[in-house]
Amino acid sequence: MNVVPFFEWLDATWLASFAKTYAGLFSMVQAVHILSMVMLVGMIILGDLRMLNVVLKGVPSDVIIQNTKKWIYIGLVGIVLSGIYEASAIAMKLAYNSFFWAKMAGLAMGIVFMLSFRSAVYSRAPETIASTGPKSDAVEPWVVKLVASASLLIWFSVAANGRWIGFS
Amino acid sequence: MLNELLFEFATWLDGFQASTNLHEALYAYGWVEATHVLTLTLFLGMLLVIDLRLLGVAFKELPASTLMERLDKPMMIGFVVMIISGILLYFAIPVRSTQSIWFRIKVVLLIAAGINALLIRNMTRSADLAWDNDPVPPKRIRVGAGLSLSLWALVVVCGRNMAYDWWDCHKEMPYFMYWAAGCVNELAAFE
Ligand code: HEM
Ligand code: HEM
Repeated sequence: MNVVPFFEWLDATWLASFAKTYAGLFSMVQAVHILSMVMLVGMIILGDLRMLNVVLKGVPSDVIIQNTKKWIYIGLVGIVLSGIYEASAIAMKLAYNSFFWAKMAGLAMGIVFMLSFRSAVYSRAPETIASTGPKSDAVEPWVVKLVASASLLIWFSVAANGRWIGFS
Repeated sequence: MLNELLFEFATWLDGFQASTNLHEALYAYGWVEATHVLTLTLFLGMLLVIDLRLLGVAFKELPASTLMERLDKPMMIGFVVMIISGILLYFAIPVRSTQSIWFRIKVVLLIAAGINALLIRNMTRSADLAWDNDPVPPKRIRVGAGLSLSLWALVVVCGRNMAYDWWDCHKEMPYFMYWAAGCVNELAAFE
C-alpha cells in the first residue's frame, strides 16, 4: 500500500497551510498533545500499576478501572485531534519517518489491546489482586501481571516514539 | 544585578566539558528530554487523579485521603525524576535556558504550584477531614485543586515553548523583554 499520496493530499489541505502559518497556535497545540498524553497515559498507568499491586493495593480494582475509562477516552480524543493538527504541518516528513510509523502501529495496538485483552483480563482478576470478592471465572495472577506490564510497555513506547519524531 | 549573576553562573556551567558533551551527544540529550516528557505521565498523571478527586469529578466512591496518601509516593518519584532530568537539560544548554523568558516564567510557576501544593497538603491533614467520603469536597479544596491543575498545565506550556526562539536575546525586542529575559549584553547596549 502506497501511503505517500495520502500525505501529499494532507500537505495540500488548508489545515496544513493554517498549521504552518501560526507558530504560536502550533506550540499551544503541542502543549495540548502533551497534556492529553498526561490524561490518557496517566489513567492507563494508574490501572496497570493497580493491577500489578504496586499502588492502591486492597482498593477494589473495578472501581479504579471504571473511573479511568471516561478520562482515557477524553485523552484519546484530545491527543488524536492535536496529533492530526501537528501532523498536517510536517506531513511530508512523516510520510518517510519510521518513528512516526512505529508510533501509529503502537497506538493501534494499544487501543485494540486495551479494549480486548486488558479489559477482559482485568475484570477477571483473582481476589488477591482485585479485592472485589471471589469470582468463578478468575484468571491466574501472572496473567493479570503480564497484561499490565504489556500495557505499560506499549504506551511508553508510543510516547517515546512520539518524542523521537522531533529528533529524527 | 541578579541577571548578571545568573548569566555568570550559566557561563560558568557552559565551560564544563560535560555540558558540551551532553548537548552535542547524538542520543544522550534525546534520552534525557524523552525521560523529562515521559515522566510527565507518572508525575502529572498521579497528580491529575488526586486533583480530579478533590474537584469531585472522578473516583468519588473512594475516600479522598486514600488517593492522596497512597498516590503520593509514585507522584513524588515522578517529581524527583522531573527535577533531575530538568536540571540535566538546563546543564546541557545553560546560557540560552537562563536567558529564556519561558524558562523564567516556568520557574516562577513551579514555585507557585509548589506553594499551592503545600497549602492543599495543610488543608487535607487527615485528622480534620470531615468531608473525606463526600463525593464533592468543600469549595476551598476544589479551588486549590483547580489552581493546581491550571498551574501545572501552564508549566507544561512554558516547558514546550522553550524550544522556540521567538524571544531569544539575539532578536529585536523592546527594552522590557531584554530585561525580563535577562539579556545582559543587549541591555548594556542601551546604557
Ligand atoms: C492519531 C494519533 C496521533 C498523531 C497523528 C500524532 C502525531 C504527532 C506529531 C505530528 C508530533 C510532533 C512531532 C514533532 O514534530 O516533534 C507528535 C509528538 C508527540 N506525540 Fe503524538 N500523535 C498521536 C498520538 C499520540 C499518543 C497516543 C501519544 C502518547 C501515548 C503521543 C505522544 C507524543 C509525544 C510524547 C510527542 C512529543 C511531544 C513534544 O515534545 O512536543 N502521541 N505526535
Ligand atoms: C516538575 C515540573 C516540570 C514540568 C511539568 C516540566 C515540563 C516540561 C515540558 C513539558 C517540557 C517540554 C519537553 C518537550 O516537549 O520536549 C520541558 C522542557 C524542559 N525543561 Fe522542564 N519541567 C519541569 C521541571 C523542570 C526543571 C526543574 C528544570 C530545570 C531546572 C527544567 C528544565 C527544562 C529544560 C531545560 C527543558 C528543555 C527545553 C528545550 O530546550 O526544548 N524542567 N519541561
